[in-house]
Amino acid sequence: MRKRTMRILAGAVVLSMLFGMTAMADGFKVAYIARAQEDSFAAWLADEMRAQFDTYDDMELDVFDGQANDEKENSLIENAIANGYDGIIIQANNGEAQLPYIQQVVDAGIPCITTNPRVECEGTGSVDADPYEQAKVNCDIAVDQVPENAKVVVLLGPAGNFHSTERRNAWQAEFFDKREDVEIVAEDIANWNKDEAMTLMEDWVQANDHIDAIISMNDNMAAGALEVVKDDPAYDGVLAYGVDGTAEACLLIQEGRMTSTGLQSAGDLAQMNAEYMHKVLTGEMEVTDVYDNVPAPLITKDNADEYVEMYKANGQIKE
Amino acid sequence: MKNSKVAQVFEKYSIYIILVAMFILCSILNKNFLSSRNIINIARQLTVGIILAYGEMLLVISGLIDLSVGSVLALAGCLSIYTYYGTHSILVAMLVSILVAVGCNLINAVLVTHFGVPAFIATLAMQMAARGAALYSTNGQNLLQLGDYVKVGQGSIGIIPVPVIFMVLITVIVWYILNHTRYGRSLYAIGGNEAAAVASGINVKRSKYITYIINGILAGIAGVIFMSRVNAGLPNGAVGYEMEGLTAAIVGGTSFSGGIGTTMGTLAGAFIIGFLNNIMNLNGVDSYIQQMIKGLIIAVAVVFDIRSKSRKTRKIILTEDDNKEKK
Repeated sequence: MRKRTMRILAGAVVLSMLFGMTAMADGFKVAYIARAQEDSFAAWLADEMRAQFDTYDDMELDVFDGQANDEKENSLIENAIANGYDGIIIQANNGEAQLPYIQQVVDAGIPCITTNPRVECEGTGSVDADPYEQAKVNCDIAVDQVPENAKVVVLLGPAGNFHSTERRNAWQAEFFDKREDVEIVAEDIANWNKDEAMTLMEDWVQANDHIDAIISMNDNMAAGALEVVKDDPAYDGVLAYGVDGTAEACLLIQEGRMTSTGLQSAGDLAQMNAEYMHKVLTGEMEVTDVYDNVPAPLITKDNADEYVEMYKANGQIKE
Repeated sequence: MKNSKVAQVFEKYSIYIILVAMFILCSILNKNFLSSRNIINIARQLTVGIILAYGEMLLVISGLIDLSVGSVLALAGCLSIYTYYGTHSILVAMLVSILVAVGCNLINAVLVTHFGVPAFIATLAMQMAARGAALYSTNGQNLLQLGDYVKVGQGSIGIIPVPVIFMVLITVIVWYILNHTRYGRSLYAIGGNEAAAVASGINVKRSKYITYIINGILAGIAGVIFMSRVNAGLPNGAVGYEMEGLTAAIVGGTSFSGGIGTTMGTLAGAFIIGFLNNIMNLNGVDSYIQQMIKGLIIAVAVVFDIRSKSRKTRKIILTEDDNKEKK
């Protein structure tokens, strides 16, 4: 009985390997090492990547989940090299930790594109969304919108996260340095999470007589903070700024409850990655010439409708 | 004599004395702490953690543990939202949430009781599987536009938030189960000495199954409250909530080695942590320092638990020696 089970298992393993090798023989095989499928933006990006690669007849994409774990992500990169992929796209969990492994990809002669975030490594290409720019587009309107002597709260992403740090830097240089009258009454880490932002905001509302604006490094946290004050007439005109352009943020902006967000379009990122990887694999361009940023359009009440329609089309918002 | 009696009273009611002391200290540290809105806020914030803490408490008393409850909550909550989309019935959605969470916990129970897998490992596996299922079912995206589903987490009856009403009802039920049923008493026996419990005729397997089922029911209810409170289905939500539940139980006097723990102690433990979080946020304490303080509190609680346990053991040995000498 045990022998039989072992035979079945061995057969299944051989079949899966053969299947993999057969698939590998047709066209170009590309591996995408995603940061973490549990991160809603990363999951959206992975979906868009699959959709974009499906539009090419001569490229196939395999997606691997780094589970927000450096060791796991590094192992996946090593596996992708060993499996002989024609190209590898890496969404680093931590640029510094993945750098030696990205170098291994380069050393193996496999074209490598780093994306969201960009990892500076000689011999690679990169496609990213500029986190500074994403926050700056909000700052540009906030400078005029936030009332004089306003009291604001700031919600941050995980400590040390590149995108959170860069967005915060943008707010400092493009807003707080220009508006010295504005007082930050509270600032804390909510790890990109809506529920953690809610808890902080519930306490901050108690600790302060009034809050004029919520400045958040992503939309999830802005939505969480707004959830707390949504039924409070004293906060009717509260301003709230985010980044990402999530479906929820677009709905909130459309309803007039959130002020603006800088879009980080997973669709655009995926489209650029697929296009550049195809050009590199077909010899149209060198991977080292790939260096691009997706635009960071500002979403406000004026243009929220078109983004809500976009999310309706991809099923994230119901009709 | 008098001193030892005072010490006994302090030991017995120490958690409540600490709770009251913290309450007084917090109200001195920040004038907003005592406002009715803030107190209601704290209760609302703690509801999910307390409900989960009761499940963990029952498991820990009987020598078990559940590391999967955060993931199971996310899976159950997301599937209940899908159910709500289809049926527009909060009751059916909650039922589905409970069924899903109980299903996951039954798998935990089978692994632990029938296959002898350590609870730590079995529930760790379930933690991964349930989180994966939650992400797979939602494609990793938040579920939006919940409609009236949010009333469970955001509604109020008078000034009392609905989640707090759930918490009070569940507290009474868990307290009753633990103190006034044979099953409740059997948990202490199992956690204290499983072999002795088997020898005394307690159906240990059955008790463990019931404990995991109760834990599932609590996780299912918590799932609906959590998702409706945040007004979204978050497949990556409630990460680490098993630790929040365990922390409340342990700070509240539940012994990690089993056999000891009370409902009211767990409730007090949760409120101590809640007061601490609240006052640190009200006073703008840096989040890194907040983590350090919370870590310190847990360490102190466990040291206190170990010391009080060794004191009790010493007392028992001394009493037995006295009895022998008298004979």
